[in-house]
Amino acid sequence: MRTTTSTVPAGDVMPAGRDVTADRTGGAKAPRGPRRGIGGWQTNLAALVFLLPALVLFGYFSWWPILSSVILGFQQTNLVEPAIWVGWENFQRLFADPVLPIAVRNTLWFAALSLAIGFPVPVLLAVFMSEVRRFGGLFRVLVYLPVVVPPVVSVLLWKWFYNPDAGLFNQVLGLVGLGPFPWLQDSGWAMPSLVLEATWAGAGGAVLIYLAALSGVSTELYEAAEIDGASVWRRVWHVMLPQIRGVLLLMLLLQVIGVFQVFTEPFVMTDGGPSNATVTVLLLIYRYAFLFGDYGTAAALSVLLALVLAVLSAIYLRLTKRWGSQ
Amino acid sequence: MTVLRRGLIACGLALALGVSTAACGSNGDPPSTSDQTDGQVTISVMGLPPATNAESRQAFLDQVAAFEKANPDIKIKPSDAPWDVKTFAAKMAGGRAETVLKIPLTEPPGLIERKQVADITVEAKKLPEFASFDPKVMEILSSEGKVYGLPESIYALGLVYNRKLFTQAGLDPDDPPDTWEEFRHAADQIAEKTGKIGYGALTTNNSGGWHLTAMTYANGGTMQDLVDGKPTATFNNAPTLEALKLLHDMRFVDDSMGTQQLRKGEDASPAFAAGEIGMWINAPQAYNSYITLFKGDPADFGAASLPQGGGDGTLAGGTVLMVTAKASDAERAAAVKWIEYSSILPSYDTAAAVTVAKARAADKLPVGVPVLPVFDQATVDKVDAAIKPYVNVPTEQFAPYVERTKDLAFVPEPAIAAQDLYAALDPVVQAVLTNKDADPAALLAAAEDQVNAILRRQ
Repeated sequence: MRTTTSTVPAGDVMPAGRDVTADRTGGAKAPRGPRRGIGGWQTNLAALVFLLPALVLFGYFSWWPILSSVILGFQQTNLVEPAIWVGWENFQRLFADPVLPIAVRNTLWFAALSLAIGFPVPVLLAVFMSEVRRFGGLFRVLVYLPVVVPPVVSVLLWKWFYNPDAGLFNQVLGLVGLGPFPWLQDSGWAMPSLVLEATWAGAGGAVLIYLAALSGVSTELYEAAEIDGASVWRRVWHVMLPQIRGVLLLMLLLQVIGVFQVFTEPFVMTDGGPSNATVTVLLLIYRYAFLFGDYGTAAALSVLLALVLAVLSAIYLRLTKRWGSQ
Repeated sequence: MTVLRRGLIACGLALALGVSTAACGSNGDPPSTSDQTDGQVTISVMGLPPATNAESRQAFLDQVAAFEKANPDIKIKPSDAPWDVKTFAAKMAGGRAETVLKIPLTEPPGLIERKQVADITVEAKKLPEFASFDPKVMEILSSEGKVYGLPESIYALGLVYNRKLFTQAGLDPDDPPDTWEEFRHAADQIAEKTGKIGYGALTTNNSGGWHLTAMTYANGGTMQDLVDGKPTATFNNAPTLEALKLLHDMRFVDDSMGTQQLRKGEDASPAFAAGEIGMWINAPQAYNSYITLFKGDPADFGAASLPQGGGDGTLAGGTVLMVTAKASDAERAAAVKWIEYSSILPSYDTAAAVTVAKARAADKLPVGVPVLPVFDQATVDKVDAAIKPYVNVPTEQFAPYVERTKDLAFVPEPAIAAQDLYAALDPVVQAVLTNKDADPAALLAAAEDQVNAILRRQ
C-alpha cells in the first residue's frame, strides 16, 4: 500500500473527473436508463447477469471480508480456535492503551504537515510547469519519476539519505556549513522527515492532475488579464487558481483521507520510533494484528478508523455533488 | 469458525491494511503446507539459507538430497523465508507456515497455548537421543506432559567486539570488559581514538527490549514474575533503570554511541563487519554471518561474556524446531524425522557431526563456534572431540566468552508474551538514546503498565 501526501489513486480521481465533465454538458438531467415496460425485466435481467461476476467478486473479496472485520472487532480470536464474542471489550482495551492517543496525535500531526507541505508543493510545481515554455515534457517526466519507483524502494532510499553520519542530506548540507541534522533520530524531526519523503514520492501524480486542470483554463482569460496589465503573480492568483478551485478542493479532501492511512513510511523507515514519535493509527493496527496476534482489537481500531474515513468520504461526496450541480 | 471464514477474515484484515489480496488463498481452503500422494509425503521446512549465502544454501540443499535418498518416501520442500517477528503471526494465522518451523525460544509458549503447533510426544520419545536433552530446555517446549518441539541450538548473549578497534583505541583485545564500567570506558575510548561507534545499540524490531532484558539480568533484575499466581511485569526496578541510565550517559555524556540510534540486527551486522561499530551485544553465533554474509576479517572478531553489574547472569535464548498443527500423522512423523536428521544428529551423533563439520570446513564455513549444549556434557565432549580436526574458527578469540560465560546464570527470556514485552520496551530504549531529557523512571513505569495490561489478557 502506498500512502501519499499529495496525490490519490487514479481510481479515486476519475469519478470526480466524470462529475466535472457531466457538469459541463450544461447541467442537464442525466439521461434516463432503459425504459420500463415490455422487455424491461429482460433488459434488467441481462444487466444483472453481466453484473453478476463483478458482484460475486466484490462481495467475496471486498464486502464480506470488510463485514467480517467489523464482526471481528467484537470477538476475541487467534484465527485458529473458534472466536469468542466479547462485545465492547476490544474497544475498552483499545481506549485503555496509552499508545492509542499517541498514534492519533501522530496521525493528525502527519496530516497537518502533509497539508502544509504536501498540498501546496504540487500546486506550485504545476503552476510553474504550466508557465514554462520549454522543457515542459522533461519537467513532467522528472516530477512523475518518483511515483514509478516502488514505494518501499523509495522509502529505503530516503532512509539512507537521512542517515545522520553518512547520509546524502547531511553530507551535502555539511558542504555549506549546515547540520548535521538528526532527521529520523529525533522525536521532533522524525515526522517532518517522513512527510518530506512522502511529498517527494507522491507529488508527481497530483502535479499531473493539476496540469490537466490548468490546461482547461481558457487562454482568453489570460490574454484579457495580460492586456489589463496583470503581472504573472496576479494572473495566477486571480485567474488560474480560481478556475481550478474545484479540483484543488477535491484533491485536498482526498489527500486528507489518504494521509490518515499513512503506514509505509513509518513502518519501513522508523518502525514507529524514535520513542513512538512516528507510530500512526494504521501502524498500531498492524502491531495489534501481526505483532501481538490480537486480531480483535486490531479489527476494532480498523472499524474506528473506517468510521472517521467514512465521515471524511461523506463530506467529499457531498461537496462533489454540490459542485456537480452548480 | 471454519477454515474458509478464517481465510476470509485474514484477507479482510489485509484489505483493511491495504495489503494485496494476492497472497490470500482464494479456493476456500488455505494452501496446505505439505501434501501426500502415492504413499510419498511432502513437507515444507524452514531453514534454507538465503541465496546471498550460496555456500550455506548449497550445503543445506545437499543435506536435503541426502535425506531424501535415505528416505525415498519423504519429499522435502525447503523454504528460505526466515522467522520474522512482524510476519510470523500472520503467516501462522493465514495457514501459510511451513510444516517444520524454525523459530526463537520466545515463541513456543504462545504457539502451544494457541494450539498452532502439533503434539509430537509420540514421535519425539521414540528418538534414541531424547533422554539426553537438557530438561530445562525441554520444559519450555512441553506443556501438560506433552512435547511440542525440539531444540536446535541454545545461546547465551555476550559481547561481540572488534579486536582491531580495541587495539587502535589502546585497549587490550584479549581482556574485554567484564563490568558495565569497563564497558563504558571501552566504548568511550573507541569513539575518541578511532572516531567509530563505541557501542552500537539495537533499538527496533523488538531488539531494544531484548537487549535491555539481557542488561537487566546482568544487573540482577527480572522482567516478569508470578504475583499471586499471575504473570506480572517487574522491570520497573533499579537494575533496569541502571541499564537505561548507562545507555543515556554513554549517548549524551560520553557521545560514544554515534548519532544513528534506530537500528536492528540487520543494520548492525554489516556495520560491525565493516569496522564501523566497536562493540554490540550478541552471541558468538554472529561469527557465522560475519564471515559468510558480510565478509568480515576473522582476525578482527572478538567474543566476550556479557558485562556484569552484580547479577552474574545473562539472557539465554535459542532456536527450536516445531511442527505446524495442520500436519497430518504422516507429515508429523516425516517432520520429526527431518528434525532429527538435520538438526539433532549433528549435535549428538559423532558420525553425523563429522559429516557436517567436514562439509562446512570444505565450503570454508565456520566450524567450532561455541554454543551452549542442548545435550548432557558427556555427549557434548564426545562430539567436540570428533569434530576437532575440522574446527576452523579462531577459538582463542572466543576464549573470553567461553571462560567467563560458564560462570554466569543462564536466565531464560520472559515466559509469557516475551515479544510484546520487548515491543513495549523498544520506545523506552529509543527515548533514552534520542532525548537528552528523557526520564527513564517515568518511561519504565508507563511501559510496565502497558505490559501488565497485555499480561492480564494472556
